[in-house]
Amino acid sequence: RFELLEVLSFDSVRRRMSVIVKSSTGDIFLFCKGADSSIFPRVKEGKVDQIRSRVERNAVEGLRTLCVAYKKLTAEEYSNAQKLLQNAKLALQDREKKLAEVYEKIERDFILLGATAVEDRLQEKAADTIEALQKAGIKVWVLTGDKMETAAATCYACKLFRRNTQILELTTKKIEEQSLHDVLFDLSKTVLRHNGSLTRDTFSGLSTDMQDYGLIIDGAALSLIMKPRQDGSSGNYRELFLEICRNCSAVLCCRMAPLQKAQIVKLIKLSKEHPITLAIGDGANDVSMILEAHVGIGIIGKEGRQAARNSDYAIPKFKHLKKMLLVHGHFYYVRISELVQYFFYKNVCFIFPQFLYQFFCGFSQQTLYDTAYLTLYNISFTSLPILLYGLMEQHVSADTLKREPSLYRDVAKNALLRWRAFIYWTFLGVFDAVVFFFGAYFLFENTVVTSNGQMFGNWTFGTLVFTVLVFTVTLKLALDTHYWTWINHFMIWGSLVFYIIFSLLWGGIIWPFLNYQRMYYVFMQMLSSGPAWLGIILLITVSLLPDVLKKVLCRQLWPTATERIQTKHQCLSVEQSTIFMLSQTSSSLSF
Amino acid sequence: MKNKSSFLPQEGEAHPSRCPDNSAFKQQKLPAWKPQLTIATVLSSFFLTGSFCLSVGVSLILSANSIREIQIDYSDKCSDCSKLRENSSNWNKECHCSVNFTLKEDILGDVFMYYGLQNFYQNHRRYVISRSDAQLLGRNVNIQKSYCAPFTTYRNGTPMAPCGAIANSMFNDTIDLFYNLNSSVIQVPLLKTGNSWWTDKNLKFHNPKSHNLSSAFAGTARPPYWQKAVYLLDEEDERNNGYVNDDLIIWMRVSAFATFRNLYRRVRRIRQFADGLPAGNYTFHISYNFPVTKFKGRKQVILSTVVWSGGNNPFLGIAYVFSGTAATLTGFVITAIHLKLRKKKTHFRK
Repeated sequence: RFELLEVLSFDSVRRRMSVIVKSSTGDIFLFCKGADSSIFPRVKEGKVDQIRSRVERNAVEGLRTLCVAYKKLTAEEYSNAQKLLQNAKLALQDREKKLAEVYEKIERDFILLGATAVEDRLQEKAADTIEALQKAGIKVWVLTGDKMETAAATCYACKLFRRNTQILELTTKKIEEQSLHDVLFDLSKTVLRHNGSLTRDTFSGLSTDMQDYGLIIDGAALSLIMKPRQDGSSGNYRELFLEICRNCSAVLCCRMAPLQKAQIVKLIKLSKEHPITLAIGDGANDVSMILEAHVGIGIIGKEGRQAARNSDYAIPKFKHLKKMLLVHGHFYYVRISELVQYFFYKNVCFIFPQFLYQFFCGFSQQTLYDTAYLTLYNISFTSLPILLYGLMEQHVSADTLKREPSLYRDVAKNALLRWRAFIYWTFLGVFDAVVFFFGAYFLFENTVVTSNGQMFGNWTFGTLVFTVLVFTVTLKLALDTHYWTWINHFMIWGSLVFYIIFSLLWGGIIWPFLNYQRMYYVFMQMLSSGPAWLGIILLITVSLLPDVLKKVLCRQLWPTATERIQTKHQCLSVEQSTIFMLSQTSSSLSF
Repeated sequence: MKNKSSFLPQEGEAHPSRCPDNSAFKQQKLPAWKPQLTIATVLSSFFLTGSFCLSVGVSLILSANSIREIQIDYSDKCSDCSKLRENSSNWNKECHCSVNFTLKEDILGDVFMYYGLQNFYQNHRRYVISRSDAQLLGRNVNIQKSYCAPFTTYRNGTPMAPCGAIANSMFNDTIDLFYNLNSSVIQVPLLKTGNSWWTDKNLKFHNPKSHNLSSAFAGTARPPYWQKAVYLLDEEDERNNGYVNDDLIIWMRVSAFATFRNLYRRVRRIRQFADGLPAGNYTFHISYNFPVTKFKGRKQVILSTVVWSGGNNPFLGIAYVFSGTAATLTGFVITAIHLKLRKKKTHFRK
């Protein structure tokens, strides 16, 4: 009944689309639908005020609104329009611009038909997820293309803004009343007055006396802030804006064009503390922000796969973000930070005795350990346990992590890979290496260590140091492992057993392909000496004691939230944990 | 990244499921032991370690008390011999030297005699590598391919047996011990075999096969610093001659540090020395051959007994006692902190 003549396709800048159709009676109509802000200016008749108030009421209730309008075209108008469209579509240069101009010319003087409202329900458990993320210390920002009223209603529904959250507005309406400069100053004074110069993130739910701030900003205001000005004050606006944002618990950016979403993510990325940003979205208009953020997550949804295709990770539902960040993210971070630190530690322990030996061998680069040990240390003797740790470690159970999102704060801001932690591990490695080397040195130097009076040579000395080394670094990992599956047992004890068996085999046979036989029976002779055994046990114990002591003391005197949870589960006591974290958080999330 | 079947169940029939299996391994739900650092485990481990270390340390110190050791440095006392040896053209001149010492008490048990060297870097890299283990196994190998250079062949092509710098610099002082009994002087009987590792003597070192030893080494020459050929090292005992000579084997096991000692002889427990060395006056007669003055080295002769915990080295005992006390003290400190914190917690709760 209607013949489709032309389609003036949707684009997110002008926020509307139109079709030109011919009815069965031969009349040509142009129908247009789009956001109210883009339709109302082009309407010349219709019940504008009535529909406008209806649209606003719908928006406040959280419904997504669209306006529909139409225009009758004469045949002449239509042929003009068709020609213009044709030229623009076939243009070889600046096609987008030409098309935009043509659309602008055609889409005007509408008659308003009415408005539609769609209830876009929140995904299940969205509110729960957002609350958990905020408790974890993650700043949540909402970037949407919707109207301010719709977006604010949605934010209240998903608990981003709570009942006692004071809403600050940085919208076009306000900027029309005062200048941008004044608005920014007022807002910053408001937030800083309560919180002082020290920013804090409150443990939501327990701090009812701390004032919660929420900021609403719209796309136009943002473009004003981001616009570079001739005088050097543009930096101040951005800094001021970021300062206000840092003190708000949640930020809502509405009427955002897709590129503006990416712009905001970039602004946060480059701000003072360089936080890690995560962007999650499900539509094609979220793609630019997903690409800009450090981690981009796409939700495979009804709006197609565009977001998922461009993302680093794709999940089917928003609620999966909670487990992804709080459980899997936490686990992987703990695992990988321990892996990195442990690798440096075990290699410091390995090489530093060789370095120390040079002072005693005339700096002639004589190795302390046999070449087989040098080659296989990092490949066979110490690689599998840490690999398993990196795959399987669960320092706290997954259920606890899901239940207590605040534990995420223990690993915020790259806590386990900071300089302090690295220096501690390196110092531990140096201490252990010094204990190995000098312990064995004083044990061996110019003395008999056997009960039959025979002497040991340099390869026996080196093998003793190496044995202590392998056992110490493996037992250090064993002390750090909190989750002992059968595979961990197999790998850790198996590596040690493999070392012993390898040493026995390597030294037990006169291998024909070797042009030296210096390790022949060295390991067995070392094991047949009582003082060597006692020395090995003592050196392993002394190397491991400081770390154990540090763990015990830190656990008693300055326990982290994770450790408190671990002890709480043990004692089965019901204690209110009134933990006040005065740390700054640095990861922000936007969707 | 397209987990299709996880949210559209009706498509699950069409496409195979790409979900990971619901096995314990893939869902990270393997059964596991989760040890916790409770105060009980920590304290018990610290106190156990402390008591273990203390007990071992005390027993080590007590056993080390019974060790007797006499160390005599003879590089000063034999200064005219050492001056003679500074000039290498005196290599075929003999030089003897005597050192006296007195034992106030008997030394009971097995007595071991060592020679000690100071400032002799047997652990230098180029020194350590300068040997041919294949030649010492008795095989007929081309020592030019080994690392023995420059101690491989003479200019006329005769190979050295054994090759390498380690064998070349073998310790060749001869030390004899004499006991002054009343007015006569008795030589203390010493054992010169059984001092090296059994595996070295019988498995790692072999003489080349031939009907007799001198023909086995035909066509080879002694290393430049030696006074006699390798098959003349011990003409009395066939099983201590050639490459399997105990002194050579012991010297080839290079030491780890620049100050070291090597087992030289053991006192043979017969006649007056059946229980060890009786008290009295003793004399070392040393045939001084090994020059050490050029590199400011020193030489000693050491007589020592050993116990189950080795020789005269107090380090292990002291270290154990020290760690034991440290562990026990730390245990007490942790207990004190724990009690103070617990008092604070209960006070806070009230």
